[in-house]
Amino acid sequence: MSYEEDLARIEAIVAELGRDDVALDRALALFEEGVERLRSASTALERAEARVRVLIERADGTFELGHFDG
Amino acid sequence: MTKPGPRRTSPPDAPDLFDAPGAPPRPRAPRRREDSPHAGDGGSPESAISVSTLTRTAKDIVEGAFPPLWVRGEVTNFSPHRNGHWYFSLRDSMARVRCVMWATDARRLPAPPDDGMQVSALGRMSVYPAHGEMHLIVMALEASGDGLWRKALDQSIKRLTAEGLLDPTRKRRVCAHPQRIAVVTSPDGAALRDIIAVVKRRCPIVEIVVVPARVQGDGAARELVAAIRRVSRWRDVDTVIVGRGGGSREDLWVFNDERVARALAACAIPTISAVGHEVDVSLCDLVADLRAATPSAAAEAAVPVLADVRARLATRAVDLRVALERRAMRARRQFEETAHDMRDALERLTARRRARLEIAAGRLDALSPLATLGRGYALASDEDGRTLTNAAQFERGRAFRLRLRDGQVGARTESTSSDVAPQPRPTER
Repeated sequence: MSYEEDLARIEAIVAELGRDDVALDRALALFEEGVERLRSASTALERAEARVRVLIERADGTFELGHFDG
Repeated sequence: MTKPGPRRTSPPDAPDLFDAPGAPPRPRAPRRREDSPHAGDGGSPESAISVSTLTRTAKDIVEGAFPPLWVRGEVTNFSPHRNGHWYFSLRDSMARVRCVMWATDARRLPAPPDDGMQVSALGRMSVYPAHGEMHLIVMALEASGDGLWRKALDQSIKRLTAEGLLDPTRKRRVCAHPQRIAVVTSPDGAALRDIIAVVKRRCPIVEIVVVPARVQGDGAARELVAAIRRVSRWRDVDTVIVGRGGGSREDLWVFNDERVARALAACAIPTISAVGHEVDVSLCDLVADLRAATPSAAAEAAVPVLADVRARLATRAVDLRVALERRAMRARRQFEETAHDMRDALERLTARRRARLEIAAGRLDALSPLATLGRGYALASDEDGRTLTNAAQFERGRAFRLRLRDGQVGARTESTSSDVAPQPRPTER
């Protein structure tokens, strides 16, 4: 699940929670999901600093990421 | 285009150079010709020189006399040969000179000139010995007003437009929060350094994957196309930046190459073009999903500022809590309203019942024998509680009860007398 998807889902949940017709048990389920998504998105933002890599295509058409000497 | 190409010798003595231009130029080291005229040769009929000596001498003199020069004029009789050499003339209102442009030089131009086009040609004056004709060996050619570049670009734009590849509706949204971006550029260029610096500053958690390709010179278009296709096959990336830092128009021209633009249009990943130029828009800019003026600007468009993202997430956390609290508050209010309604209903029901009870009580009171007792009457009943209404029911010595207004009295019949004719006694049960 990408950060982008998590964020979009959280915003959808906030919007649905704001509607008048959302049932209370549904609202609670949404909130729980929202909290889970927040946790997931926060984790994504706490990733370690990424390295610069170089794309290498093997002879068989598969790919690997090599070390890049900038 | 400003740099003259490497010095190249004129074509050798291949006959009919201009009539049958298939002969490739054969470089030839300068040498002292055996048939060069010696001092005094040609001074008399006896020492007459050959025609070929004359034209070869003229060639040597002409080539020695002119440095490479820019010459302006109008192109006429343009005739490209299938081997890539171009033959044409340059003229003005007074004169005309034959020109040749070898394939290696012609290839560097984006498009051939048209007849009637005003151009400036950088060339070396020479003589074609076999014909004794002067010609200009053109190494570089510029049409006024960027004519050739414009022409090639216009043709490409026309084709891509016709195929719908420049349609604005084709533009895809570039990922706002990428985890990984690919950069198709020279691995040792300034563009890559700039992009890495910007990404590390703004959002260091984003991984940069370099997809190396030469971005200028021979083969650059081929390498760019291959690199873009490689990323497209790989797919495991959110955004592709394709570009290079600033340079001369010639350096940047590969980004106007139709093959590169087509590869970019076909790329499975959303693309950002980053060709370091200010004024012109390249073909790749037109095709890419997003155009950035410089590689740094491309990196800024590709990744968000991490601190902003964190702040936004914190705001969303608050939004979520507030939304739930609002929903809960609404629920509480609904509950209270319902409870209030119930209490009201209950009270109304109670009041109604009490009223009915009071009415019934009033009626009961009116009918009650107790009221009669209040006026001094007494009610007699036997041990079983049956009311005794006839004198005949009072047997002598029998115990009975008298109910008075405020209590009961136990009694026993002393005597009875009847005011009326004796009634038939009620059947004993």
